[in-house]
Amino acid sequence: MNRDVYVIGVGMHRFSKDYIPKRDLYFTAGMDALKDAGIKFRDIGALYNGYIGGGMTEGIGFAKDLGLTGVPVTHVENASATGSSAFREAVWAVSGGQCEVAMALGYDDMRLMGNPMSRTVPGKKKLPSMENIMLPAGFFAMWAQRRMHENGTTIETFAKVAAKNWNHGRHNPMSQRRADHEVTVEEVLAADMVAYPHTAMMACASGAGAACAIVATKEWAQKYANGRPIIKVLASQSQSEVYNDGHIFMGAVVGPSSSTELTGQAAYKEAGLGPKDIDFVHVHDAFPIEELMYYELLGFCGPGEGDRMLHDGETTLGGRVPFSPDGGLIARGHPGGPTGLAQVWDATRQLRGEQGKFQVEGARTGMVHMMGAGSICIVHILQRA
Amino acid sequence: MAKQVPLEEGYMIIPENPDQPARLLGSYSKAANKHYFPIRKLCPITSEPVETVELSPEGVLFSWSFIMMPKMGSREKVAGYGVGQIDLPEGVRIQAPIDGKMGDWKIGMKMKLVPNPVVTEEDGTQYCGFKFVPVQEK
Repeated sequence: MNRDVYVIGVGMHRFSKDYIPKRDLYFTAGMDALKDAGIKFRDIGALYNGYIGGGMTEGIGFAKDLGLTGVPVTHVENASATGSSAFREAVWAVSGGQCEVAMALGYDDMRLMGNPMSRTVPGKKKLPSMENIMLPAGFFAMWAQRRMHENGTTIETFAKVAAKNWNHGRHNPMSQRRADHEVTVEEVLAADMVAYPHTAMMACASGAGAACAIVATKEWAQKYANGRPIIKVLASQSQSEVYNDGHIFMGAVVGPSSSTELTGQAAYKEAGLGPKDIDFVHVHDAFPIEELMYYELLGFCGPGEGDRMLHDGETTLGGRVPFSPDGGLIARGHPGGPTGLAQVWDATRQLRGEQGKFQVEGARTGMVHMMGAGSICIVHILQRA
Repeated sequence: MAKQVPLEEGYMIIPENPDQPARLLGSYSKAANKHYFPIRKLCPITSEPVETVELSPEGVLFSWSFIMMPKMGSREKVAGYGVGQIDLPEGVRIQAPIDGKMGDWKIGMKMKLVPNPVVTEEDGTQYCGFKFVPVQEK
């Protein structure tokens, strides 16, 4: 990066299964982040809106509720990695010298998106696309099935990943799923099957929500620290796919494993550190197979060792490197546009030591990872300066 | 037999003679010596031109699942459907619905491509995607 960038404010509208007007989601998260940073909307020099559903310039319309300041507003969309992409654009706007302070604001309701693969041919009957063949749940389930075949991973292991994240989300006030009891492996296994071997309690929570992050130069970070530690963006990396054997071009929602591996390695290199230096991790845990694979692909254990790492409790709060400490996509939720920014919300607050019952004790460095439609991977590393 | 046509051009051919197998259309890159599906505009590895080729109608099951959720954008209840990844001899992996029920599929089993009718016109014409069915071993 050309100059150092810091996260100076984060905000959220709780992720929820309730239908909440998107305009309200947007305003709440934006104002929450401005308040957290201690600045006004007129201080923002660039605004990046992240949403997947929604009509033309919808986000610019919502931004008018925050003020008419002339700020450049840009819509960013990269499927699940939309919020992460908006964050990365804001980071680079500051790093590149476009402005001193930039905002990334993601919002969505996963249930209102319709079918991204539908097509209408003028003058013809409405036909489904040849590429509209199955849900993301199917892709992830086939990844899980193959892992069971190759590694002997059990359904109980997938259930354990989910139960862990449900229990992490119990104390997160922004979590969509907040169980009133300790969730067990048996409970996860007993839920309805959605795509074998994944049950409904293993699938990410789909709902509405918004999240926002404000980034700025070191001068701004120090000026508005207000007695809190300042949080530096050590690495900002993004990669699309490179060719892998067995490459799937059509409906590639999972994408090749190398995307996560290569983007993670690039982030470590930029930050000048390795997996042993990371205190907690957020990943695209839409289904348990992903979190399990990312233990290995991000270098936290060797190939095939993910099951052991999970069962040894290394990725549970209190363990060596907790994954999804706020509940992850499985419990905190996955509305779409804001998901990557919810990770930044938690990571920033973890590094400040503000997360109370789901605090990663002594956390100094955190990693946030997202995949977008299996075709784009984004990894950031944040550190308490 | 009803006339069957592909949902979209450029993905598959369905011969009029039902004894002839349907085939997917892919791209072959001489420069990379690789096949791809669906058709590419250029070789994604070398950026050299590719030629359109017919892919083998049979392959091997790489993975599978059984989905009990409606398709994206729909909330209607579904009875469930199988999905699979099938490796064709050309080194291409295809994702598609598969015929059968839980217990029918084993990784490594042979699968065959068939048209999958999804919309039928008033004149009986069937617009088809594609799916794979297990090959009964003799």
